[in-house]
Amino acid sequence: MKELLLNTHQLEIGYLNGKPSRRIVGSGLNLTLHQGELVCLVGPNGAGKSTLLRTLTGLLPALGGEVYISGRKLEEYPRKELANEISVVLTSPIQVGAMTVRELVAMGRFPFTGLFDRMSEKDWNIVDQSLKMVGLEGFEERMVHKLSDGERQKVMIARALAQEPRLLVLDEPTAYLDLPGRVVVMSLLHDLAYGHDKAVLTSTHDLDLALRHADRIWLMDEHGVIRQGAPEDLVLNGSFAETFNRRGVNFDPSSGTFETQSPASVPVFLEGQGPEFIWTKRALRRAGFCVEKDETPGTVAIKVITREEKLQWQVEFENQVNIFSSIYDLINHLKSQSTH
Amino acid sequence: MNQSEKNSTSANRATSNRIGFLFVLVVILLLVVILNLSLGSVRIPLREIVRVLFGQPGVKESWVFIISNYRLPKIITAIAAGMALSASGLQMQTMFRNPLADPFILGINSGASLGVAIAIMGASLATGLFIPTLSVGGDLGLIGAASLGAAFVMALILLVGKRVQNPTTLLILGLMFGHATGALVSLLVYFSAPEKVKAYSIWSFGSFSGVTWQQLQVLIPVVIFGLGILAFLPKGLNALLLGEDYAKTMGLNVSRLRVLVLISSSVLSGAITAFCGPIGFIGVAVPHIARNLFKTSNHKLLIPAVILIGAIVAVMADLIAQMPGSQFVLPINVVTSLFGAPFVLWIVLKRKQGAASFSV
Repeated sequence: MKELLLNTHQLEIGYLNGKPSRRIVGSGLNLTLHQGELVCLVGPNGAGKSTLLRTLTGLLPALGGEVYISGRKLEEYPRKELANEISVVLTSPIQVGAMTVRELVAMGRFPFTGLFDRMSEKDWNIVDQSLKMVGLEGFEERMVHKLSDGERQKVMIARALAQEPRLLVLDEPTAYLDLPGRVVVMSLLHDLAYGHDKAVLTSTHDLDLALRHADRIWLMDEHGVIRQGAPEDLVLNGSFAETFNRRGVNFDPSSGTFETQSPASVPVFLEGQGPEFIWTKRALRRAGFCVEKDETPGTVAIKVITREEKLQWQVEFENQVNIFSSIYDLINHLKSQSTH
Repeated sequence: MNQSEKNSTSANRATSNRIGFLFVLVVILLLVVILNLSLGSVRIPLREIVRVLFGQPGVKESWVFIISNYRLPKIITAIAAGMALSASGLQMQTMFRNPLADPFILGINSGASLGVAIAIMGASLATGLFIPTLSVGGDLGLIGAASLGAAFVMALILLVGKRVQNPTTLLILGLMFGHATGALVSLLVYFSAPEKVKAYSIWSFGSFSGVTWQQLQVLIPVVIFGLGILAFLPKGLNALLLGEDYAKTMGLNVSRLRVLVLISSSVLSGAITAFCGPIGFIGVAVPHIARNLFKTSNHKLLIPAVILIGAIVAVMADLIAQMPGSQFVLPINVVTSLFGAPFVLWIVLKRKQGAASFSV
């Protein structure tokens, strides 16, 4: 096992609203984070993911218990020394105005430059390397406010890297990105953990991406209880299902995704193979049909067939056969049938 | 040439371009200063001005008098005021993360006004407690009163601003503070002797010309002190552009920076307000001119730029106020408001079109 970078002992997190009243978000947390590891913090909205990250990075005081960074108590760190250990990327889009990518990434050198912020040749080299690590070479002189959301988030990650931390903490870095942008950022984080030996802790709503990329998941439920483990372990022992299931939405352990369940589902039989079969099944589920494994008399039988290199859907019901050339038409037909 | 060398030279080129731009600003400042020395109710030829400045004999005595006792101290005051007000506005715009923040709009000038009103008129109410005179001690008292008033309102805004994150709410709060202090000033005016009220209202029109050489000996060191603090802040202000959370995780002591900004900007605006009256719009407009000209929000460059442009704008405003060739002199506030109000309106409308708050 690699070096332990962060651990907590009976940590209690939350907010102090004046002396007597405090809102406890989570308690009894014993968490560990090692070098070279990508950990995703996931959980339903309002579980307290941001509160936890803010507490671990020293932005919010712990209500009880201890946070240790490299074995030393968090509150014993002088601000500047803590900046050498941890750097962050936050959710909210930044508004720095007119600033070049290089200038912004150079801000990562803040803890190392003196009172007047003089950058040495070494500092500039680290800025260049950081930009290279996130794949933004050639962007140095571009203005930050003219970049796309995904590019800007990469710049913020480069800034965090230029701080040369051992631990990188990100709060929903993919929140404002489109799907390809999310995949890029998540695999970048994976590379930083594997290729550059950083410890990376990120919160995310993207369960699918977290399941694919994380070495470990901190699964936080609505009561602030955290279960840790490899994503696969948490799927298999039912933790995901327990945390996320609510009325009408189920976590499907076989696909690792959430399925909506229509209350009154009409059974149909579906025959087919490959992606065509999977996508047809999805469409049927959405429309409120449940797909049976065996053909029983009296149910609608649907076959995915290929005729003259074209996909077709053949529907057989009460000796009547209809053929459709798209899933859309198929679903519309089934809907009109079931309402009669 | 390897990658990093190429990078640092291109960075150097950008920097040297900008330094060249700063030099151009210095030249423009010199030009408007000379123009201001030469124009006014009496026009004095350039050659005579040079002779007066270098102490050469043979110039008309009245011209020597006008230049050395009237126009020169007035221009030095204008330069100091322009620098101080715009430097104060820049710091506050960054700290409040609000493009419309300036000493005037956030009610800090009103605080200074209240301080001065109490210093001038309050004395007659609380007889024998505090009688300001025109000696250096009295000037310090006036500066102190204005700075205390400014610092009081700014501390209030900072306190409330910690809880209220919405910039619009803060602006409205500033406006309300302004009204409240305005009401207190009215109360003082209502109960004061007419000559005190007149002294106060003349002060409130704003002017660069009432400041004597003797008073400058107080004003200049105070402005240098305020700007001196600012000289240590560009690094922290840049970090603050990312927001307080980022700044903290970068190792910045945010509360110390807040205090330093509080001291610097309230001393700067308080001192100028004490001597020249509440001068509007320079503080809010000049930082935007600088961001537009230099296409940057990096304070290492913005601070010198803002200071130079502020000086140029103030000297030009004074030139317009003199209405060259006529006997009339407009209050400086009339000029800055007539030109500044449409400018600020333009900033607001530009923002509506979706531009980010600090963008150019």
